[in-house]
Amino acid sequence: MSTDRGVGLLEGRVALITGGAAGIGLGIATAMAREGAAVVLAARRIENGEPAAEALRDAGHRALCVRCDVTSRIDLESAVAATIDGFDRLDCFVHNAVGGSATPGPLEEVDDGWLGLLATTVRASFDAAQVAHPHLAAAGGSFLLLTSAAGMEGSANLPVYAMVKASQRALAKSLSREWGPDGIRVNCIAPVARTPAMERAYLANPELEERLVGRTPLRRIGEPTEDVGPVAVFLASNLARFVTGQTVVVDGGGFLGL
Amino acid sequence: MGTRTLLCGVGSLSDDLVARLRARGHLVEAVDPSLLVARTDAASAVDAAAGSLGAVDLVVHVLAGPDGPTPLVDLSTDAWVDSCEDPMVGALHLLQACRSHLGAGSRVVHVVPTSAMGGAPGFAATSTAAEGFRALNKSVARQWGADGITTAVVAVAPELLLGPAASSAGGALTGPALGRTGGADDLAGIVDALASPEAAFTTGSTIVADGGTWMAP
Repeated sequence: MSTDRGVGLLEGRVALITGGAAGIGLGIATAMAREGAAVVLAARRIENGEPAAEALRDAGHRALCVRCDVTSRIDLESAVAATIDGFDRLDCFVHNAVGGSATPGPLEEVDDGWLGLLATTVRASFDAAQVAHPHLAAAGGSFLLLTSAAGMEGSANLPVYAMVKASQRALAKSLSREWGPDGIRVNCIAPVARTPAMERAYLANPELEERLVGRTPLRRIGEPTEDVGPVAVFLASNLARFVTGQTVVVDGGGFLGL
Repeated sequence: MGTRTLLCGVGSLSDDLVARLRARGHLVEAVDPSLLVARTDAASAVDAAAGSLGAVDLVVHVLAGPDGPTPLVDLSTDAWVDSCEDPMVGALHLLQACRSHLGAGSRVVHVVPTSAMGGAPGFAATSTAAEGFRALNKSVARQWGADGITTAVVAVAPELLLGPAASSAGGALTGPALGRTGGADDLAGIVDALASPEAAFTTGSTIVADGGTWMAP
């Protein structure tokens, strides 16, 4: 069976994905599009996002790209408005984008560069939640945050990254309880998958990939579209209609602490 | 000599904890959490407190929260910053400022509501910060363990930190096994025990001190 077409799990649905131009965000968008969703790639640089959206359209999917810096509330509002303009509804808001500085190192050396990380993850989750809520309520939709096992087990290398990723997970739990009565589900995915940032890290430190694969029971690193995307599809679909407040770790079994 | 304790927090639980720890022989210097948001102010406040103590054996950071529930969709950005982002920024600055005053045998304790783990409707901002505190505590345990510095989180019933309205927000399926949710006395005993060398082989862990309500791992 071709992987370009699924079975229509998200037929008629509309998803907005921040950081949708590449990596895990594009993987989620692609997997959702294959299952019939119209997807909106919210990208900080339109020149990166538009070719990705065009490629999805060329493959027969419904896709558009909107410029969106997630640290801007106005950009998030515009992205949601463009989604409604383009596709009439919003069923799933995926906040995947992460930016700012998460330079590995001692806590004592973390400087104010980390505030960009805080803005793209924590503040953007807050803004996105407020902006998306009425549309998700109207659609009976879902809100999906990308988090990390680092937030669950702590990280010696990335202490503030662990902090912000943990906090997003707690936000998802509180929101799942606030929004459940509105018919909105809120979940998290904690992936380990091949991304442009990860490829750069491997180039700088080739042993990193070997070490990561070695500690992963399934002995490989995930692929955004084929490994992470289907879990996002599941969480956005009716198959997960009774699942909320949860984190699905999609990392080949590397983290087993939940 | 008593345990030299630097305590950061506001609210009745924090105030009562100071009194209870002093009663147990701790030398306690308090740092106002509102000073932690600016890095230089945090460093000055911590240096002054640590200077009074001589050295710091125990750092206790009690997360403060709002008294009333507000649905996230109704929360202003300023309120979000006050309840979520500023406490996380402050937690980072506090530990950065404390590092040079800590040595082998020192302990860092964060006190958070159990809603860090379970969420709480109406208290999303504080609960979000609380889980950030827990992850920061774990990361610090991993970074500073080689120097003999240990950490722990004590998670208490949400109403102790977030006010009475949080009593029904915890989402527990059953009430506390011990029949009550506890208070500063219970907390002081656990914090004091964590400061003991006898407890020094646990680090980065969360101890739930809510009378047996939240029992998930």
